[in-house]
Amino acid sequence: MNLDAISASENILRETTGFVFPNEIDVLWSIMIVVYPYLTGLVAGAFILASLVKIFKVRELQPTYRLSLLTALAFILIAPLPLVLHLGHPERSYEIFLTPQLGSAMAMFGFVYAWYLMVVLLLEIWFEYRRDMVIWARETKFPLSWIYRILSLFSNDLSQEGLNFDKRATRLITIIGIPSAFLLHGYVGFIFGSVKANPWWSSVLMPIVFLFSAIVSGIALVLILYMVLAPMRGEEINMKCLDRVAAFLFYAVIVDFSLEALDFIHRLYESEESIHILSELIVNKLFLSLVVIQILLGMIVPLAMLAGIRIFRANAELRKLIYFVSAILIQLGIFSVRWNVVIGGQMFSKSFRGLTTYKMEMLGLEGLLLALVLLALPLVILAVLLRFFPPTGSPAKDLSAST
Amino acid sequence: MRKLPDSLVRLLIVIAGLASVVLCIRFLVLPRSLTDMELHKQSAVERELEKPIQFAGSGICQECHEDEPATLAAGYHSTLSCETCHGPAQAHIDDFEYKPKAPRQRDFCPVCHMYDPSRPTGFPQINPIAHNPLLPCIECHDPHDPVPPETPRSCEACHAEIARMKAVSHHVQLECKVCHEATNEHMLHPRAEKPTKPANREFCGSCHAEDSDTVATPHIDLKTHGGRYLCWQCHYPHFPEAS
Ligand code: HEC
Ligand code: HEC
Ligand code: HEC
Ligand code: HEC
Ligand code: HEC
Ligand code: HEC
Ligand code: HEC
Ligand code: HEC
Repeated sequence: MNLDAISASENILRETTGFVFPNEIDVLWSIMIVVYPYLTGLVAGAFILASLVKIFKVRELQPTYRLSLLTALAFILIAPLPLVLHLGHPERSYEIFLTPQLGSAMAMFGFVYAWYLMVVLLLEIWFEYRRDMVIWARETKFPLSWIYRILSLFSNDLSQEGLNFDKRATRLITIIGIPSAFLLHGYVGFIFGSVKANPWWSSVLMPIVFLFSAIVSGIALVLILYMVLAPMRGEEINMKCLDRVAAFLFYAVIVDFSLEALDFIHRLYESEESIHILSELIVNKLFLSLVVIQILLGMIVPLAMLAGIRIFRANAELRKLIYFVSAILIQLGIFSVRWNVVIGGQMFSKSFRGLTTYKMEMLGLEGLLLALVLLALPLVILAVLLRFFPPTGSPAKDLSAST
Repeated sequence: MRKLPDSLVRLLIVIAGLASVVLCIRFLVLPRSLTDMELHKQSAVERELEKPIQFAGSGICQECHEDEPATLAAGYHSTLSCETCHGPAQAHIDDFEYKPKAPRQRDFCPVCHMYDPSRPTGFPQINPIAHNPLLPCIECHDPHDPVPPETPRSCEACHAEIARMKAVSHHVQLECKVCHEATNEHMLHPRAEKPTKPANREFCGSCHAEDSDTVATPHIDLKTHGGRYLCWQCHYPHFPEAS
């Protein structure tokens, strides 16, 4: 018997309190599984924001439309990486697609993901940028012009009919895209909500709570990006647009907050036998991440700030500052939502009589460092995307042509 | 029919291309063992069979070792397999030059014997810090026949969880023997001879009934209190609570 392993497990045993079954001592779903729903949430949220322009005709949001789409693309490319790292066999991941197992909810992620990436995001971006790509292909020099040519599939059609068709296609895809975005993140919530043995997860509200927190985080992210990128490009920040984004953010946080409060009250009132261990979990293990960061800093403070400037009609500079700070706090809050769900759900024993501890790796395959890299990587991809597909479009056209 | 827009045609070509690549891989390239469940299971079995064997199993040791298996089977550790302590030993069977490890250090035995409330009732448990510290366990206990050198002094040896609970309860003053008649034999062969347990309400009533003459004991009306239920259907006798 491996004595090192034994003494290691003995050390962990000291971190536990009460009755913990042997297979629950180690927290197996690590920070990678925290990063995964966080990233997919950002994707779904950014897309929903983009769809407000196309479907609900919120014209003020036009300056963020393309930015939201590219953000969604950059994040969805990285979203499955934490899963692959967690499972540890990247070379087998394609088997999910080739040998589909329709009975497994977890395996279905491959299809939900592929549908969303290929049928929704890529297509919508392609149609949205086709005209620009054709123009860029003509105007740029050799290697670049060929890249645009290949990406636009050698299309050369700038006729009015062709452009009209692009517009209709984008609209149609957005219409398919909204339920797909709901599916994508609702699915992630479903995976947790359907674990009936785990009272912290098992709740029909879970997919909906996930969805709204996704919308909140996605809008907040695009808001941050817009506020950072516009000055970098030397543009004025469009205050009308910013106010509108912030307004949607405010409403989304309110809905999200009410849903979570509903979930909480429901649990309290039902008072199932798990309630004691869950309250112990919150008081002993999740106090900082749930009560302080998620609820106080991530919701109540931003809500108060956003409500405050609506009541007191602050000037533009102050509004910008407050939007920015609340968006960052909200990001922090939503990240702890994921943390509290994923890690929190594994910290109490199914005996309902014991708690264990999560010890995060630092450098390993599932460690903190890699998690930070995964969180930063989409931003790098986004920078590259923005470089080649500037949201301002080709110089020769005016903005209104793309709506 | 209207002509399809140019862009759509191009997309459809790409999509058709992708789809045919996937279909080709699925039906032409993939080995059947990946797509056919029957074959898949079979090849998984073959894959596992190819792995080197680590454990020899508990039966084979007695072909060469006579004493240890016999002692082990007669003692408290009869349910343990040799390789639980000595580690995987197939290499030893193939070549005696390879010696299985013998866990002589003190930190090995507490893996099973350290106090842990989730262990089954009656399982012998010690506190490794307080129990004869510094000496290796095998100094006093033969690992193959771990009889304690003397009969355990208290019931706590094996009923640690109950004893620890009672120690902080209102019944802290009551010895186990007040409620359980336990013979010495139970300390030696606990499963062969079991102590008695209280059987009726009158037993608790001997101290708690209103007409009993105990002092400093809360009294109840034995006739009405708790209906016809046994007292321990509501009060855990080792940690009685009044609410
Ligand atoms: C084919 C005969 C054979 C079998 C089967 C066998 N052993 Fe041995 N084992 C030996 C011999 C011979 C020695 C003595 C070697 C020596 O003293 O140098 C030995 C020695 C040992 C030792 C003492 C090592 C030491 O450090 O002195 C241990 C422990 C041991 N065997 C465990 C096992 C276990 C456990 C099994 C069953 C999985 C097993 N053996 C099966 C032949 C066997
Ligand atoms: C509870 C753990 C445990 C189990 C189970 C166990 N052993 Fe041992 N065994 C030990 C320890 C500890 C030693 C070292 C004893 C010593 O050095 O005095 C040892 C020593 C030995 C030795 C060497 C004896 C010597 O004098 O060097 C042999 C041979 C052996 N065991 C065989 C077996 C066989 C065969 C089995 C299965 C029937 C078995 N053991 C089961 C713990 C165990
Ligand atoms: C794999 C788990 C395991 C390991 C390792 C183990 N034991 Fe045990 N031990 C047991 C079991 C099981 C019993 C029998 C309990 C019962 O009868 O209910 C037992 C019983 C005992 C007893 C009898 C106590 C009594 O009075 O009933 C002693 C003493 C003991 N072990 C000492 C040791 C020592 C010393 C070691 C280290 C060499 C050791 N054990 C390693 C599982 C283990
Ligand atoms: C100095 C000799 C000595 C050493 C060393 C020693 N024990 Fe004991 N052990 C005893 C005696 C004597 C008893 C029985 C009396 C008692 O209850 O303390 C006993 C009892 C036990 C029991 C039965 C439960 C009990 O409390 O009665 C277990 C289990 C046990 N020992 C395990 C171990 C383990 C594991 C180690 C090593 C960490 C170890 N012992 C080291 C002398 C020793
Ligand atoms: C050597 C270990 C050991 C010691 C010491 C020991 N017991 Fe036990 N006891 C056991 C085991 C093993 C069982 C059986 C548990 C089972 O089968 O579920 C048991 C069962 C019992 C039961 C339940 C019997 C039943 O029918 O369910 C009682 C009561 C009990 N013990 C009381 C005592 C008392 C009182 C003492 C001290 C005087 C004591 N025991 C000391 C090991 C021990
Ligand atoms: C006030 C009386 C009382 C005292 C003191 C007491 N017991 Fe008990 N015990 C009971 C009763 C009553 C039951 C039966 C409970 C049942 O059947 O559900 C019981 C059941 C048990 C059982 C078997 C059920 C179980 O929970 O595992 C064990 C073992 C046991 N007692 C051990 C002990 C030990 C060891 C002590 C001393 C540390 C002790 N008891 C002290 C009243 C007592
Ligand atoms: C030998 C006498 C004796 C027996 C037998 C006895 N008890 Fe007690 N019990 C006491 C004493 C003494 C106290 C009060 C201790 C104190 O709080 O100072 C007490 C306290 C209690 C309490 C009150 C705890 C509280 O929160 O105030 C309950 C309930 C109780 N016992 C239940 C039982 C049950 C059930 C049984 C039968 C299994 C039982 N007792 C058998 C002596 C006894
Ligand atoms: C149906 C559940 C039930 C049963 C059966 C039951 N009790 Fe109680 N007991 C309670 C509750 C509830 C209380 C606390 C409220 C009260 O004082 O009535 C209590 C309180 C007590 C107290 C503390 C009284 C005080 O004044 O602090 C004692 C002593 C007690 N019970 C002993 C017993 C004994 C002895 C039996 C068996 C003859 C028994 N109980 C059976 C539910 C029960």
